[in-house]
Amino acid sequence: MTENFTAVSGKRRVMNSIKAFFTQPANIILTVSVVLLGFFTIYPLVLLVLDTTKVHIAEVMFKELRGLKVGQFTFFHWYRMLLSDMSGVYFWNPLKNAVLMSVLASFIAIIYGGVVAFLITRTDIKAKKFISSVFIFPYIMPSWTLASFWKNFFQNPGIGSGTGGFLFNLLGVRVSEGFVYGLVPCAIVLGLHYAPFAYILIGGILRNMDANLEEAATILKASRAKIIRKITLPIVLPALLSTFLLVFSSSMSAYAVPQFLGGSSGFTVLTTTMKQFINSGWYGQGYIMAIFMIIFGLVILAINQYATGKRKSFTTVTGKSGQISYIKMGGWKYAAAAIIIALCIFCSVLPLITFALESLCVIPGDYSTLTLEFWISKTTTSSGNGIRGLFYEPQVWTAFKNSLLLSGTCALFAGTVGILIGYSVAKRRGTFLAKAADNLAFLPYLMPSMALGAAFLAIGGPLGLSKTFFLLALVGSIKYLPFASRSGINAMLQLSGEIEEAALIVNVPWWKRMVRVIFPIQRSTFISGYLLPFTSCMRELSLFTLLASGSTVILTTLLEDWQAWWTQSANALNLLIIITVLAVNFIVNKLTGASIDKGVGG
Amino acid sequence: MPEIRLEHVTKRFDKFVAVEDLNMVIEDRDFVTLLGPSGCGKTTTLRMIAGLESPTEGRITIGDQVVFDAAEGINISPAKRDIGFLFQNYALWPHMTVYQNIAFGLENLKWKKDSIRTRVDEMLKMLKIEQFEKRYPSELSGGQQQRVAIARTLAPRPKVLFMDEPLSNLDAKLRLEMRTELKRLHADTDSTFVYVTHDQLEAMTLATKVCLMQTGVLQQYDPPLTVYNNPANRFVADFVGNPTMNFVKAVAGKASDKSAIISMFGKLFRFDSQSSLDLADGENDVIIGIRPEFIRLGNGTIDGKVYATLPSGMETMVKLSVGNETLTSVAFGSVDYPFNMPIDFEIIGNGIVMFDGKTEKNLSLGSVSPQ
Repeated sequence: MTENFTAVSGKRRVMNSIKAFFTQPANIILTVSVVLLGFFTIYPLVLLVLDTTKVHIAEVMFKELRGLKVGQFTFFHWYRMLLSDMSGVYFWNPLKNAVLMSVLASFIAIIYGGVVAFLITRTDIKAKKFISSVFIFPYIMPSWTLASFWKNFFQNPGIGSGTGGFLFNLLGVRVSEGFVYGLVPCAIVLGLHYAPFAYILIGGILRNMDANLEEAATILKASRAKIIRKITLPIVLPALLSTFLLVFSSSMSAYAVPQFLGGSSGFTVLTTTMKQFINSGWYGQGYIMAIFMIIFGLVILAINQYATGKRKSFTTVTGKSGQISYIKMGGWKYAAAAIIIALCIFCSVLPLITFALESLCVIPGDYSTLTLEFWISKTTTSSGNGIRGLFYEPQVWTAFKNSLLLSGTCALFAGTVGILIGYSVAKRRGTFLAKAADNLAFLPYLMPSMALGAAFLAIGGPLGLSKTFFLLALVGSIKYLPFASRSGINAMLQLSGEIEEAALIVNVPWWKRMVRVIFPIQRSTFISGYLLPFTSCMRELSLFTLLASGSTVILTTLLEDWQAWWTQSANALNLLIIITVLAVNFIVNKLTGASIDKGVGG
Repeated sequence: MPEIRLEHVTKRFDKFVAVEDLNMVIEDRDFVTLLGPSGCGKTTTLRMIAGLESPTEGRITIGDQVVFDAAEGINISPAKRDIGFLFQNYALWPHMTVYQNIAFGLENLKWKKDSIRTRVDEMLKMLKIEQFEKRYPSELSGGQQQRVAIARTLAPRPKVLFMDEPLSNLDAKLRLEMRTELKRLHADTDSTFVYVTHDQLEAMTLATKVCLMQTGVLQQYDPPLTVYNNPANRFVADFVGNPTMNFVKAVAGKASDKSAIISMFGKLFRFDSQSSLDLADGENDVIIGIRPEFIRLGNGTIDGKVYATLPSGMETMVKLSVGNETLTSVAFGSVDYPFNMPIDFEIIGNGIVMFDGKTEKNLSLGSVSPQ
């Protein structure tokens, strides 16, 4: 009798607990997202690894693999990649190039961005507002903008395609080839592109840093230079390190820049080589590169975590920023402002001018005769490329529609899931499920875009999704989820739990608490969780370059196709993309007040 | 009518025990304050009763409904517990006006439009915030926000009202004012109040019963004056009362069933207990607890020196040094003694507490007279 009673009670207890667990929406969200994210992040990785030991159709041509059937097991790819005579050209050389390029780019970004951040937050430099909004322009623009601008600007008849560039046409200056193609320009362009990133991170810390820390040192009679060296620098050091690692890893996985500027000098990096492998159908070797890139990403994050203690620890230095006494620069405040503004214009305004100019040339690089046909011709243009004027070219419209649809889908999905994950992780902080969901949502951030693209190429077949729009939307959503989930978690952690509890107590249902209470309060943060995936997606190339083709062509992949051959049309298309991205940014910024440089500007 | 019953309630965060084996009954229409230093588990207790936090073990009953039972896995959502909750930082929704803040809850309880209007107006009037109806929380001062929060909490007529340090964000003057109003509100609304605070004065002045906690363990659950006059242990005696009680180390020997001879300040005294004294034979280490008001300066047998005098108008606190001990005494009115002036005093009244030297538990209440 007693035994029977406890048995029933035990069962009821389990049922009751399960019921109590799932009456909390946060628990449901966490469970679902852990299962789905687990599938879509771990499964592609596993397939990627498995595929490096399989024979693919195009690989049967290797004499070592002759006689083996497609799908059979082999270590040949690993051998060829790492140990064979070809390993130098295929792997070690691109690796060396990529590391060199990334280290240089990181230093350029930190020095340029860091100096500007310091000038804006700590000195009485002029035109602070203007500088801080123009400075981040290159970061909003697609990464290849500067690369193609660089080419347009420094190109001269002695090198590359042999056409004249802006500088040559106006002043007749011929720079050497090493300054237009190869390691140096790639590093400079990446450095300039990521400088705003350094500016935002370092500037954020400087701005949040309690001015008392420096004032205390002033009162103890430390000199300005000593304060910077002994107080300011050590405090921003974690931010410097984070910036270095993030710029480094972003540069390692950069594809567009080395693709555009590597070209004729035979400068290859991991990404460009990987794309060649996969285009040739040599998936085994391509996937091995992807794995190495992922490992690089993981190692960098591990270093970052180890060095800074916590993923976000560079934001922990906070305090009341009181009245800061700015360093007086005398006449230099005008000079410094002028120099920085000139640099900003070079990086963000001049590119647009050269794209416009180049798109109007009858003969590429020759400014003497101009035409509008590459924009408005209703028939194929006279350059014989079989492409009509940009506004009448069906490919452009397909790509434009696809890009918008893709960005919209990804933003909607990533943004919404990000908010939900942010909400649940903040609610159930510290539990196993919350940690799992948080980490799984962050995992795609560590995977270089192209490697993630490769991983989804690998699962496309087994899931029957190859070459579908859905696959693009899926990979985009997953890739940009980290942005959205980060901003979601931050927004929720800022919001005291009591705000929701106050509604919970008066019986407000969960969806209504989200829609009527939580979302309106943190609107701008949440909207930036939608905005970031959207604009990133609009300008993303490396993530989609392996997956988009035919009917799923998007603006960026179309540009990549055109770039090598049809200069004028490519420049016109380039301008169209940049203007679209800027316009979207501007509209959202105006509508919601959410912006990337928020909180740094003077 | 609701009576809140906590049985063996325990809350653990990983290995840290926030509340340990808590048993208490909150009667209908009580005004109970949960008192203790920060981190003692009082807020956790409140949130567990409200359903915002789940206990690890135990059972909570409100009225005749079991709202939580760890053994059975029952956990009723806070929305279904018919309670109100006043948060420490008010938790007003910043994007809603005062009116919307108060009305939002009623809308969700499916009240009719005109009765919402009536009720909100009633609340606005009661808390004297009619003129702020259309303002947003950020446009109000701290005290006004506080009133809005109270109005929002009271509007649905909860049977039980929970408050988590609701006055701690207000300035001293306003706090005093709101304290009076809360006490009045308790009488007017006819509901049960459970109130968390770390301010012993607030707890004493407001409550019908004080629940004093330390590191998750209940120390004493009694009416405020009982807690003050007959503290269960040294911690309670020390925590309640301002200036705090004097604790003097002493040695006690049993004289009869209800009396003992104690030695302190290098002198012998007689301790007459109100109840039978539980002392072992021979010498016992004890602590004698003397409230400052029971030390009367002048005409006494104990000699000391003035360490410092702290007059505050209505009363004066005098710090004395006697041997190695420093004692606090309170004298009515303004007096001022020079530093180091020799002074004598006596211990009066029958509210002197004897604590066990080791367990620090209250052994007995009695009076001290020179031997």
